[in-house]
Amino acid sequence: MPSDSDRPPAVWVDDLWVSFRVTREKNQTLKGTLARMRDRSKQAMLIEALRGVSFQVPAGSVYGVIGRNGAGKSTMLRTIAGILPPTAGRVAVWGRVTPLLSLGVGFNRELTGRENILLGGLTAGLTSAEVYDNFDAVEDFAGLGDAIDFPMRTYSSGMFGRLAFSVAAHLKPEILLIDEALAAGDAAFKLKSMGKIVELCEHQECTVLIVSHGLEVVRALAERCVWLDRGVVRYEGVADEVVSAYMAEENIEETSATALEDV
Amino acid sequence: MAATQPYPTVYESTATGLPPLRAYFTELWARRRFMWHLARSDLKAEHYDSAIGQLWVILDPLLLAAVYFLLRTVVRPAGTGAARNAIIAHLVWAVFVFTFVSNAMMAGARSLLNGRALILNASFPRAVLPIVAIVKALFDFVPTMLVYFAFHFVLGQPFGTALFAIPLMFAILAVMALGLGLMFAPLMVFYRDTGGFLPYVTKIWLYVTPALYFVKEIPPKLAVYLRWNPLYPSFAALEQIFAGHWPSPAYVAGAAAWALVFFLFGAVAFLAKERDFAVRL
Repeated sequence: MPSDSDRPPAVWVDDLWVSFRVTREKNQTLKGTLARMRDRSKQAMLIEALRGVSFQVPAGSVYGVIGRNGAGKSTMLRTIAGILPPTAGRVAVWGRVTPLLSLGVGFNRELTGRENILLGGLTAGLTSAEVYDNFDAVEDFAGLGDAIDFPMRTYSSGMFGRLAFSVAAHLKPEILLIDEALAAGDAAFKLKSMGKIVELCEHQECTVLIVSHGLEVVRALAERCVWLDRGVVRYEGVADEVVSAYMAEENIEETSATALEDV
Repeated sequence: MAATQPYPTVYESTATGLPPLRAYFTELWARRRFMWHLARSDLKAEHYDSAIGQLWVILDPLLLAAVYFLLRTVVRPAGTGAARNAIIAHLVWAVFVFTFVSNAMMAGARSLLNGRALILNASFPRAVLPIVAIVKALFDFVPTMLVYFAFHFVLGQPFGTALFAIPLMFAILAVMALGLGLMFAPLMVFYRDTGGFLPYVTKIWLYVTPALYFVKEIPPKLAVYLRWNPLYPSFAALEQIFAGHWPSPAYVAGAAAWALVFFLFGAVAFLAKERDFAVRL
């Protein structure tokens, strides 16, 4: 795969630090805050999710993000999407970011699939005209048949995921962030979505950041890759090498555990 | 196209402060269709299965008004038929309007907690959520006013050109409710238990507002204090309007001033805290 470093970046992450305070209680309350003021031992804990992460994503490429649970992968995507504020450092993005961080953001389960395509598109920041232009393509790609006119509460998680991915992939994403979002589809749909990701990047029209535990998928799709380890960059480079290094460190055999089933 | 956009969007750490206002409101305006569809689809989903759902929006304040009427007439018998009709009409509109203000405020206050999934997974000006809550409350409110006008007619209350001032007063109240929603929403994100106080606050607020009684019934000693209730000028103005008179400019100006104060205060509080919502949810 070409690894042309002359290409301008689509995403530039520069010495990014993200930390937040978490409390033991699930929901923060006034009572809890007052209790903490009295009792110092109940102080909130500071979580440093990202500690000085830097990398660049070349425009028009697929970029992989790998690492263990809790390494800061999702936090990083949320920061790139502008959802979480950086504590220090900066993130620059060239283009509209479409986050696919969780399935069907903005979807309302009481409404039909068709109504949710519009709602999902508007949530992603498109105008309704832009949504309607791509309406048929979204519907076709999701391949839900008559179910598209049923309320989404009747959908299986797989059907839900197909529509969600279809909406995100078709609504002219410029920078698409995918966080394990393909996990719900069946094998055929996974292949179809991988093909779609490749297609999106073909004419450098879209840049994709993909967080996945499906290492073979990252190897197959991504040009470059970053391995995050407890909030710092462990290794950044050509995807093939990074994935191999990660697998060696974690003692992962190239078995079915890393293959397509776990995309 | 991603690669050709010359200027990037940059996210940096900034101390808590207001975001660039012009950019913020441009983005908010660009999201108006999103807000509209969010409000409509939420309402549709809420009332989808039940005709009762729609009906309840009207029945609930109506029954409340009936309870207050019984209470009132027990305390002080209504007297003549005309006086009784005036009391009923007044109670119905006042309870409807107050229900709108308190529902809108509460919905605005809870909008961030209810929109948790959206906040964590999509990027948009967060003021979208309280605004949508107010719009939904307005949608629920309008049919109740149509029901009121049936009462207004049956009870022989005056119809006149002054009624055209009603939309202005409702707009003022909507802005006030939005301001309160913007003010309480961050508070509820940071301190979840504060939400429990709101129902009591609104109850007390109802009793100090000339909703269950006429402005002229307030003893002069109390009037000195009740005049400072932010809802006093708007309810006083509405009382004049529904009685067939144009509202006195002082009341309208007072109502608008309170609405503006709440709106500005709420907007500043909300925008200053907006970047932390995703972290705290």
